[in-house]
Amino acid sequence: MRRVWAVIRREYLQRVRSRWFVFATAGVPLLLVAATAVPVVLASRNEAADRTIVVLDLSGDVGPWVARALEKGGYVVEPASAVDEERVRRRVESGEVGGYLVVDRESLVAGYARLVVNESPSALRQLSIRQAVIQAALAHQLVGTGTDVEQVLAGGALEIERIAGSGGGMNAPASAAAYAGSFVLYMVILLYAVAVMRSVLEEKTNRIVEVILSSLSPWQLMLGKILGVGAVGLTQLAVWVLVGGAMVALGFPALLAVRPELAELAAITSGLPGPSFFAYFLVFFLGGYFIFSALYAAVGAMCNSDEEAQQAQFPVMILIFVPVVALVGVIESPNSTLSVVLSLIPFFSPFLMFARAVGGAAPFWQVALSIVLMWLTMLGVAWVAGRIYRVGILMTGKRPTLTELMRWLHQS
Amino acid sequence: MTDEYAVRLEGVTKRFSGHTAVDHLDLEIPRGSIYGLLGPNGSGKTTLIRMIMGILLPDEGRITLLGADPDQTRRENVGYLPEERGVYKKMKVLELLVFLAEIRGVTRKVGRGRAGDWLDRLELGGWADRRLEDLSKGMQQKVQFISTVLHEPELLILDEPFSGLDPINQDVLEAIMLEFHRGGMTILFSTHLMDQAERLCERVCLISRACRVLDGELKEIKQRERTGVVAISFDGPADWLAGPEVMRQEVATGAVHLVLHKGADPKGILRRGVASGAEIHRFEVVEPRLHEIFLRHAGGQAEEGSRRAAPGTVRGSVAASR
Repeated sequence: MRRVWAVIRREYLQRVRSRWFVFATAGVPLLLVAATAVPVVLASRNEAADRTIVVLDLSGDVGPWVARALEKGGYVVEPASAVDEERVRRRVESGEVGGYLVVDRESLVAGYARLVVNESPSALRQLSIRQAVIQAALAHQLVGTGTDVEQVLAGGALEIERIAGSGGGMNAPASAAAYAGSFVLYMVILLYAVAVMRSVLEEKTNRIVEVILSSLSPWQLMLGKILGVGAVGLTQLAVWVLVGGAMVALGFPALLAVRPELAELAAITSGLPGPSFFAYFLVFFLGGYFIFSALYAAVGAMCNSDEEAQQAQFPVMILIFVPVVALVGVIESPNSTLSVVLSLIPFFSPFLMFARAVGGAAPFWQVALSIVLMWLTMLGVAWVAGRIYRVGILMTGKRPTLTELMRWLHQS
Repeated sequence: MTDEYAVRLEGVTKRFSGHTAVDHLDLEIPRGSIYGLLGPNGSGKTTLIRMIMGILLPDEGRITLLGADPDQTRRENVGYLPEERGVYKKMKVLELLVFLAEIRGVTRKVGRGRAGDWLDRLELGGWADRRLEDLSKGMQQKVQFISTVLHEPELLILDEPFSGLDPINQDVLEAIMLEFHRGGMTILFSTHLMDQAERLCERVCLISRACRVLDGELKEIKQRERTGVVAISFDGPADWLAGPEVMRQEVATGAVHLVLHKGADPKGILRRGVASGAEIHRFEVVEPRLHEIFLRHAGGQAEEGSRRAAPGTVRGSVAASR
């Protein structure tokens, strides 16, 4: 076992120290941080003045409604009357206030208003101001009717009551988590399984494998390699999760403090994955990674060059692509017979059963069954791949045909 | 019996699709000997070595390595330098050595110490923290040699250890091998370089066409392979050279070679020479050089071997055909 450990250690350290790994692991969170921080920094310049809007009321009665709606959206509102326009204009020019909004009777009937600013406002700001005007107009017109304008403008609500059936569809945040999670799984599993293949291929093409196989069994070498590369993948995922978690916990409130108009985005935080998401992710990542890395190790052992490997990995690629294509349909109707069957196929489970489980659509027994099937498949794949690997790793020359591969499996 | 031989092969056969690489071969390598495995390209040396190392399994026959089947415990006591040498190009020299020692059961600490000593000895001390891709081929080969001895094996198996080394490093390697030999290590190596084999080996085995042609102590083989050539240099009359023993005369540089009839005794010639009054500087029954023995037994096969490799065969035969 100490020998396998040496292989794991080598694979792990060589990769973790590589420039590529540092870049990908640190770079992705850095990009995320930058994407969050840049608007914050930009907005925090002169923020108080920027968020102050003077409402110039030409109608005499719409003004307060608009002011209230704007304040709800996080603006500081100063009322003014028509005679003040020259003075207000100068204050905008000097940057003392963010702009002034002219409302009149037209605002009431058509939701029309005029915004005077120094610089063209962001799309988000335009939207929030426009919404405030519309909301004010409707609220003003519907006063006394008991209409909850805010609720109506938010798109109403549809409550669903199911009478029969096991497991439901997914709500929006759940299906978003399912999509995102499956996609990341697909990327990470493919990335690291291919890394295993490249590593096998490297050892084979530079012939060091013969030295190593004089001290280790092919099985030990393959095991060590798969575990080592897998540990690199887990490390990378852990860094991403930690940085992402820290950003949601610390960065998002900071962002909201300066850009209150982003408050609607806060809804996303409520849909953020919880512990069960990560538990499923880990289980299905490990299952998928072990299955596919063993397959890719066998592909690497069969080939003698990158070009050959490109072709030889095609059958394995199909096993990964089918679930990716099926993913949309499975998330749409997670409990159709097709979805259930596909997600129970061990090669597809890492992506499809994961999506159904995370979306809360799969009954527990199906999830458990798929995990059992997946781990059984893993043993089977390891057996097959181990044999192909054992024979292939010392072969050179032509890539084996299917019949030859079958013969390899029967060789002791 | 088991302890007498470091390696013992009984009727070992290995076939690859289309041809037999090793054919019912018997071989016994006594403990503590320096053993040379000679043979033309494609004769099955590398396949043989791979089977001894348990990398390939024989189709027939039995291999005993250090008293048992060549399993992992036995291989732990073997230092193996394959013919096709690879390294992890991106690794640092010392890291690679420590790793290769570790997979042979040496702790990291011990491995690091020994690797450092060896690097210094082979004048690679300054390269310990460089990546292998920065090293020349010859330097890489020295690193690979170091990796074969870090776990202090009982048996050293070197496949063409001298190829690719310059004469200075060949001498260094030779000296190290002799030093190990004096320390009691068994050394099996294959080579094309007959001079080296002649200097180093106590015993040799000549393989040709997958079969053993000659095997035994070098001295004995040479005696057995004597062709009955006498080299003579002298001043004075020359008529005594002709006689019933002599098949023909050949003039070589600084000497006359007399090729004798089979089984003839050269003593009569010497007697005649002394009687004739010639001044004889040299009268020597010439032992054939290993080179000549090699050519005599394997000459016909050398060209054939190069045509043999077919695509899709295991690397042993492809490699050996180069």
